[in-house]
Amino acid sequence: MITFALSMLLLATGASFVLGRRRVLAMVERPVDLQSLPGYYGWYTALWCLVPGFVVVLGWMGSAPWLLEGATLNASGIDLASRSEAEISLFMNNVKNLASGSIPSLPDDPALLAAAERYIELRGRGAAIASGFVALFAAAGFSYAFRRLRPNLAARNDVERVLRLTLMACSTLAVVITFGIVFSLLAETLQFFNRVSPIEFLFGTHWSPQTALRVDQVGSSGSFGAVPIFTGTLLITAIAMLVAVPIGLLSAIYMGFYASRRVRAVAKPLLEVLAGVPTVVYGFFAALAVGPVLRDVGSAIGLSVASESALAAGLIMGVMIIPFVSSLSDDAIAAVPDAMRNGSLGLGATESETIRSVILPAALPGIVNAFLLAASRAIGETMIVVMAAGLAANLTANPLEAVTTVTVQIVTLLTGDQEFDSAKTLSAFALGLVLFFVTLCLNLIALAVVRRFREEYE
Amino acid sequence: MLLAPSDSEAEVIVPEPSTEEFRPKMNATAVDVYYGDTHAVKKVDLPILEGDVTALIGPSGCGKSTLLRCFNRMNDAIAACRVEGEITLEGRSIFDAEIDVVELRARVGMVFQKPNPFPKSVYDNVAYGPRIHGIARKGPEMDAIVASSLERAGLWQEVKDRLQESGTALSGGQQQRLCIARAIAVDPEVILMDEPCSALDPIATAKIEELICELRGRFAIAIVTHNMQQAARVSQRTAFFHLGELVEYGRTEDIFTNPVQERTRDYITGRYG
Ligand SMILES: Nc1ncnc2c1ncn2[C@@H]1O[C@H](COP(=O)(O)OP(=O)(O)O)[C@@H](O)[C@H]1O
Ligand SMILES: [Mg+2]
Repeated sequence: MITFALSMLLLATGASFVLGRRRVLAMVERPVDLQSLPGYYGWYTALWCLVPGFVVVLGWMGSAPWLLEGATLNASGIDLASRSEAEISLFMNNVKNLASGSIPSLPDDPALLAAAERYIELRGRGAAIASGFVALFAAAGFSYAFRRLRPNLAARNDVERVLRLTLMACSTLAVVITFGIVFSLLAETLQFFNRVSPIEFLFGTHWSPQTALRVDQVGSSGSFGAVPIFTGTLLITAIAMLVAVPIGLLSAIYMGFYASRRVRAVAKPLLEVLAGVPTVVYGFFAALAVGPVLRDVGSAIGLSVASESALAAGLIMGVMIIPFVSSLSDDAIAAVPDAMRNGSLGLGATESETIRSVILPAALPGIVNAFLLAASRAIGETMIVVMAAGLAANLTANPLEAVTTVTVQIVTLLTGDQEFDSAKTLSAFALGLVLFFVTLCLNLIALAVVRRFREEYE
Repeated sequence: MLLAPSDSEAEVIVPEPSTEEFRPKMNATAVDVYYGDTHAVKKVDLPILEGDVTALIGPSGCGKSTLLRCFNRMNDAIAACRVEGEITLEGRSIFDAEIDVVELRARVGMVFQKPNPFPKSVYDNVAYGPRIHGIARKGPEMDAIVASSLERAGLWQEVKDRLQESGTALSGGQQQRLCIARAIAVDPEVILMDEPCSALDPIATAKIEELICELRGRFAIAIVTHNMQQAARVSQRTAFFHLGELVEYGRTEDIFTNPVQERTRDYITGRYG
């Protein structure tokens, strides 16, 4: 019903556009006599039709659940005062499920059945009334605008204003959502810290989040020292950066200065394809190909390598972030004016001296920015480490052992059946908050660095 | 049609060979430059004389910069660019396999149209060349080179207290003089300047012109300029180019007061350009 009203509203909007444009064109001899371009009068009329109608739709969608619930409960004849809130909400849930047909076997409660019928009826009537209001408001808006159309009406300014408001609303929404996420993380984290002290979480060295179901089982308390997880994340990120930084930076230099145009045309897109490989593909490559090879090589030279190791995950993660490092460094290098390069070459410096002593120092902030963004990518990466790094929360700096990371722990803590208010589940939110905070810091630093970089050449 | 053939060049170029010695520091003979299919410089012969300032003038796009870049092989860095013909430095071909382009550029320095100091300190800008050529590394020896180069570029008084500030923080005119100091620091024999004043205000321009006059004699200088008065003020020789051809070359006073070619006269009197 409401979808039907919406589509009618859109149709009416289209029609208003045509009508408004045509009417204003009929008022003048030449279109240039209009204050704005003819299309703006179309938009003006169309927006006056669309916006009021759409506001009604939004209002209905926002208020309908409450209105319907209240009306249904009132009509159902249940004594609201004698029932608890939970009972009422359970009752309403059943009513809604019945109404949408998602309970296959009907319960035998006549009050429930009656309420469901009532609910369906009210819902239909409400939608019809709402649709009527949509039509009324859209028509009123349209006729207001249509009658105001004059050749000297500043339609352009009004349309621009509506556009600006729309854009503003969209960006506000994005910001609000971000804050919403942070606050929900914060709220859950606070709950977690009610059970486990932040000191233990941040500085404890033993991580074993399994809490037993019954108090008399072993390890009933769980232990939430997250240091092994942080060090595991750092270890893998460090390995990844060790792979990605030299390869990415050197390939950016090669592409920027030495590669012929033909090589660059082929190699650059190929390198960027690496960024498009789904991380789960990297993950099974790391787990099934690289891990075993490392283990075999290790045992051949007398090292014991776990089949799931930080090294395997770090290497592949490094490969994954090479394109980040190389394409961002490439941008930074390309942003150094050609005049710098010519100035240095003109003094008799060789190409490599020029790169080392002039181009790289000038591009350094941009390159550092590339490293920071790549690092925050690596810290947040999940799939590869889930598949290749293991789950054991070892506190170790040995890359040949299995380690676990923040992201892996979040995945294992939250997948499967969970009680939602156990310390185990809540600890995932605390880990998420830490992750969020660290990547946020890296990104902010990168932003500051880039800002300084921009000033350099402007 | 352009220039008399080279055997009679001495007559055309230097009317009184007995009083004025003809000393080409560099000499271009029959130089052609192509950018892909564009023929940018056509069969040009041009000497750059020891101790003199040679001005290259002509309308935009006539190949002045392109030719200038040939003298220290800066065109090598442009992939599409192809240079034919012969250019010598002290009688030896600069395309000679034995002459390394690094060494060539140390002997033939270049100053660009837009001041392009490195984003380093004033000191390091000047020290850059001597360092890469191993003339000096640091310490008092390098200090002396930096000081004397800045002195010769007429910048020492203005920057002696701010040697550690970034070169990019100087004013446009100071930056250009810093670039000249940077070129002088490796003690070149020839300095090429491509419209060194076109990005500067009149006062800064006057300072650079003054500087060019002072540097004359110690270096062979070739300068591209759009400004007729500038060419007349600073140069002893002038070459007029049009559509990639060298139309006329001679003593500056002759070119400006009594040009042989119609096209030169038209350009100098502002008929086109
Ligand atoms: N890097 C380049 N690539 C292709 N064509 C160029 C390049 N530089 C200059 N040209 C062309 O060569 C001709 C001469 O240019 P230039 O030497 O810059 O002239 P001028 O300095 O006298 O104004 C012009 O037609 C120009 O378009
Ligand atoms: Mg030019």
